[in-house]
Amino acid sequence: MLSWIIASSGPLVRHRKSSASVLAALLLAFPSFLLGQTDSSDRPVPILTGSAGLFASGNGGDRELVPVVMPVILAPLGERWLVEARGEFKGEFEKPAGRGSFGGPVEKELDYAELDFIANAKATFTVGRFLTPFGIYNERLYPVWIRSLQPVPTIFPIGSGSSNGVMLRGGFPASPNANLNYAVYFSTNSTINKLESDRLAGGRLGVFFPSQRVEIGASFQQLLQEGRYRSAGFHFAWQPTAAPLNLRSEFAWSGEQGRGYWIEGAYGLSQISHWQKVMRHTEAVARVQQFFAGGIAPGTAADYGLPIVNAQVFDLGGNYYFRDGLKATASYGREFSSVGNFNRWTIGTAYRFAFPLGRL
Amino acid sequence: MASKSLICGLLTMCLLAGVAAAARAGKHSEAAPAPLEPTLSNDDLRLEGEKRFRANCGRCHQSPHKFPPRMMLTIERHMRVRALITEEDMRMIVRYLNQ
Repeated sequence: MLSWIIASSGPLVRHRKSSASVLAALLLAFPSFLLGQTDSSDRPVPILTGSAGLFASGNGGDRELVPVVMPVILAPLGERWLVEARGEFKGEFEKPAGRGSFGGPVEKELDYAELDFIANAKATFTVGRFLTPFGIYNERLYPVWIRSLQPVPTIFPIGSGSSNGVMLRGGFPASPNANLNYAVYFSTNSTINKLESDRLAGGRLGVFFPSQRVEIGASFQQLLQEGRYRSAGFHFAWQPTAAPLNLRSEFAWSGEQGRGYWIEGAYGLSQISHWQKVMRHTEAVARVQQFFAGGIAPGTAADYGLPIVNAQVFDLGGNYYFRDGLKATASYGREFSSVGNFNRWTIGTAYRFAFPLGRL
Repeated sequence: MASKSLICGLLTMCLLAGVAAAARAGKHSEAAPAPLEPTLSNDDLRLEGEKRFRANCGRCHQSPHKFPPRMMLTIERHMRVRALITEEDMRMIVRYLNQ
């Protein structure tokens, strides 16, 4: 089967079809030859998982309909290997003023396609395209079924995205009440369509205190190409045991792009005694964020997805969990900046799916 | 020049950490399994697993429902890499979710 994959992807390369086509062919074909490996009942089985969502949003006068599908393939190999990949298909459909139906482009991205080797309890080697480990949002909170508010934080473009290269990472107990986690990586420059990355190196170090449910950490990144600027960040997360509160925060600074922070609190309403059937599935969310623009040109800032001037954003929202992996979400916020203040809102639903690709 | 030094430094760190960790793992693989589990009863293990599940998994997302054991093994491997959950925590969580 593997030889068939290589043989069938060869002509694609020769005919200079996009690299995304080759990767898509590999991703689709890959699980089929893994089925032959899944006979034993105590072995992990390949999985197709991911999330999907449909959202309506407004930013000032603009209205958008945003369908999102983010499929994830997880293919364990042997005792210590894992192949994992995530695609992202996101529509940004707008309605022409006064008439017609919603329409527009669909963004297609390969967020990661990596091979992981779990060497031991402290170290995992990763090679391929991976999510850049800068802060916590990119790696942990980005999927639409996980994030508490659908709009990503303003500073999200700083230091995050995807990298092509190698990474060493791990998490292990440093003491009875402190788990250390780390990631160091190097990424090469790539201009290949859908596989873009910058030449950079960086690392992240975090400490998690399980008894207090507190995590703190720091990230660093050096761009090794045009610009050659540095980025740094700090993150903090706290889940107090006394209350159904999930508090998270990130600060990011970039020598060129600017700096900013966000603080978000998500509070489960299960402690409210009225309407218990509804309240125990409901979560209220608030986020405050501030961004200070860097020295780059406004056009470049917009290309990065950053505000072109200093901005403050406040969001309030809620999630209702129908069942595991299925939620309705809504938020309302207001952005303040020198180019104007405007309201922003989102309403929609998100779903997490998971299917085995072999016999259970 | 500074960037070359940074790359060399990072790669050296990777190499040294990998070698050191691999060497330690070699020693560990000959040692006894995790110390916690043999000393706990099934009820204690369930409580400890739930505690670690809430502390680790709950940091990012709502409680997932239980998956079949073979799917859980795959998810375990994925989350060890993605969320950098420790090996012992992950083992206790999987045991709890498979009960």
